[in-house]
Amino acid sequence: MSVLLDVQELQTRFQVRKGYVYAVNGVSFKLEEGETLAVVGESGCGKSVTMLSLVRLLPPAASIENGKVLLRGDDLLQIDQRQLRDVRGGQIGMIFQDPMTSLNPFINIGTQMSEPLIYHRGMSKKEALARSAELLEMVGIPDGEARLREYPHQFSGGMRQRVMIAMSMSCEPAVLIADEPTTALDVTIQAQIVELVKELRDRSGVAVIWITHDLSVVAGIADRVIVMYAGYIVEEAPVDALFEDPRHPYTVGLMGALPSLEGETGTRLTTIGGSPPDLEDLPDFCPFHTRCPYSIDRCRTENPMLEPVADASDRGHRAACWVDIREVEVQSNGAGASS
Amino acid sequence: MTTQEITATGDIEIAEASRTNLWRDAVARLAANRLAVVAILPIVLLFFIAAFGPYLTPYDFLAQDFTARLASPSSEHWLGTDELGRDVFSRILYGARTAVSVGLVSTAISLIVGLVMGSLAGYLGGRVDMLVVWLTDMTRSMPALLLAIVINLTLKVPLEAWMEQMYLASKNTFFRQTMWVDLVLVFGALALIQWPGYARLIRGQILSIRSRNYVLAARALGMPTGRILTRYVIPNAMGPLIVAVSAGMGGAMVLESAFSFLGVGVQLPIPSWGKMISDGLRMWQTHPHLLVGPAVMMAVITVSFAWLGDGLNDALNPRQWGG
Ligand SMILES: Nc1ncnc2c1ncn2[C@@H]1O[C@H](COP(=O)(O)OP(=O)(O)O)[C@@H](O)[C@H]1O
Ligand code: SF4
Ligand SMILES: [Mg+2]
Repeated sequence: MSVLLDVQELQTRFQVRKGYVYAVNGVSFKLEEGETLAVVGESGCGKSVTMLSLVRLLPPAASIENGKVLLRGDDLLQIDQRQLRDVRGGQIGMIFQDPMTSLNPFINIGTQMSEPLIYHRGMSKKEALARSAELLEMVGIPDGEARLREYPHQFSGGMRQRVMIAMSMSCEPAVLIADEPTTALDVTIQAQIVELVKELRDRSGVAVIWITHDLSVVAGIADRVIVMYAGYIVEEAPVDALFEDPRHPYTVGLMGALPSLEGETGTRLTTIGGSPPDLEDLPDFCPFHTRCPYSIDRCRTENPMLEPVADASDRGHRAACWVDIREVEVQSNGAGASS
Repeated sequence: MTTQEITATGDIEIAEASRTNLWRDAVARLAANRLAVVAILPIVLLFFIAAFGPYLTPYDFLAQDFTARLASPSSEHWLGTDELGRDVFSRILYGARTAVSVGLVSTAISLIVGLVMGSLAGYLGGRVDMLVVWLTDMTRSMPALLLAIVINLTLKVPLEAWMEQMYLASKNTFFRQTMWVDLVLVFGALALIQWPGYARLIRGQILSIRSRNYVLAARALGMPTGRILTRYVIPNAMGPLIVAVSAGMGGAMVLESAFSFLGVGVQLPIPSWGKMISDGLRMWQTHPHLLVGPAVMMAVITVSFAWLGDGLNDALNPRQWGG
């Protein structure tokens, strides 16, 4: 397998009235061809901003301060607008959280689906429509040809997400970035969408970045997982290693098994107490220390780097923590490993 | 589950929808809106009268019948005559021309200015945006009628003097008609009063549409900016704009009549409903027929424009179409 996407030291911040919101703080990761990478973390930890930074789709207040985004060796942060437009949709497809508002209400589905095919693939309008009908059937919308003439409001949320998936996959991108694509949908529909993406991935060999704040989806779809906190990657591991042997206290917390900080008796936490740090005023030491039951003095003076963990079952298992949590006895007071 | 979800949307609906398009749907929606349909008739009639009024009127708008001054409605003068014995019905028909030109021209000017200023503000942001917002706030904080009076008082005399000079220099009879000065001042004042509304509307639309998910999704698909503007931003901004323009046309006509009432509107000899209303108001207790005709016309037209605007907005907005 070869590296498809190589993100190095990415830093993105937002200009706000009093200063900057440091949303992404030196994020580095690699995506191999055909691989599925999950990105997890609480809402607001920088997952979306990281992904939007890759293809420079950020709002005006944001700026990328540092980093490289190498797609098969070309730095997407350096290429011109014209090349960038070819990458968007052509090389990297994206789907977003809210399918209800992701389609233009004024254009019918067929025209909307044709545009990228005409633009990226140079198809004629007729060819593009025929291809769009096929794509609709491919994502599980039967009678595709008839439905091309319909407008978004005639589709349910789940159907619209299917349309979005069909559109983002229409130009056969190498990477599909799915930013919480099921969060806004009913539970039953969520499972269908996950299945659909898996099926398309297996058929086309597209590499997938699946973003979610919900670890439970991850096990079924991902090869590898990245855990983000306050704009940092705090742990990275193959999916099995992460679930069986999490090394960062925050990851343990996400799994609902973090011992309580105050040591209150009998509390079993499914969410982590406390709240994430203010991104406008990040400490220059471990950003998790206010919520961490393992914290030691060093945590309040130095920020840990993302480094390979000791005795790892896999070389790619890395965490950013000063403490080897396996060696520490915390007053867990009955916090269970299962939730 | 998948098939259930599909059949839930209804086979009949699918078959029907596939044969229609957005504009045909919009027309059907408009036709189903009773108020909007009712409103279309007076508006069509207004434009028709404005275009052909002079051929329809029984009398010239200046023709005076001294034997029948302030006459009540009769078979000879359907809506009676005014102080100078002029036929009120004929003057109302001519007044439609004034109303339509005031509505069209002032709306066109303010819309163009508003579009340019609003788009600049919405797109460029930063200082340009701050400047435009400040300008619109300044303009809107001044009372409209006061603004019109100030414009009239300060510009009328110099403009007329300039016209006189131009006439003497060129001998072009165009410059003899001081009526143009009136029109320019009225249109100018109306445009000045109305552009901030359009500018703020466009600015708000651009800001809100630009951050909508479907624009992000289109950008993520690599669509060029020009295409996003024409296919995504403009069509989505159209609904509110159409409502505003439609209401603005009615509004401009009402404002013009207020100007006339204060003596800074379109002056004689062209009849304007506003002028007729303000003249009629002086003796409405003794001769109500002078007031009723133009006032009713004005009311009907204003309400019609408002209803039509609402109807168009609903018809053009697919998000409101069930489903
Ligand atoms: N337009 C913006 N202006 C200022 N801060 C922003 C803006 N958009 C996002 N942020 C900040 O960036 C951080 C990361 O956001 P995001 O990547 O959307 O989080 P998530 O992990 O939930 O996708 C958030 O904490 C938010 O405060
Ligand atoms: S570095 Fe210290 S505070 Fe940070 S997660 Fe590790 S133990 Fe907790
Ligand atoms: Mg997000």
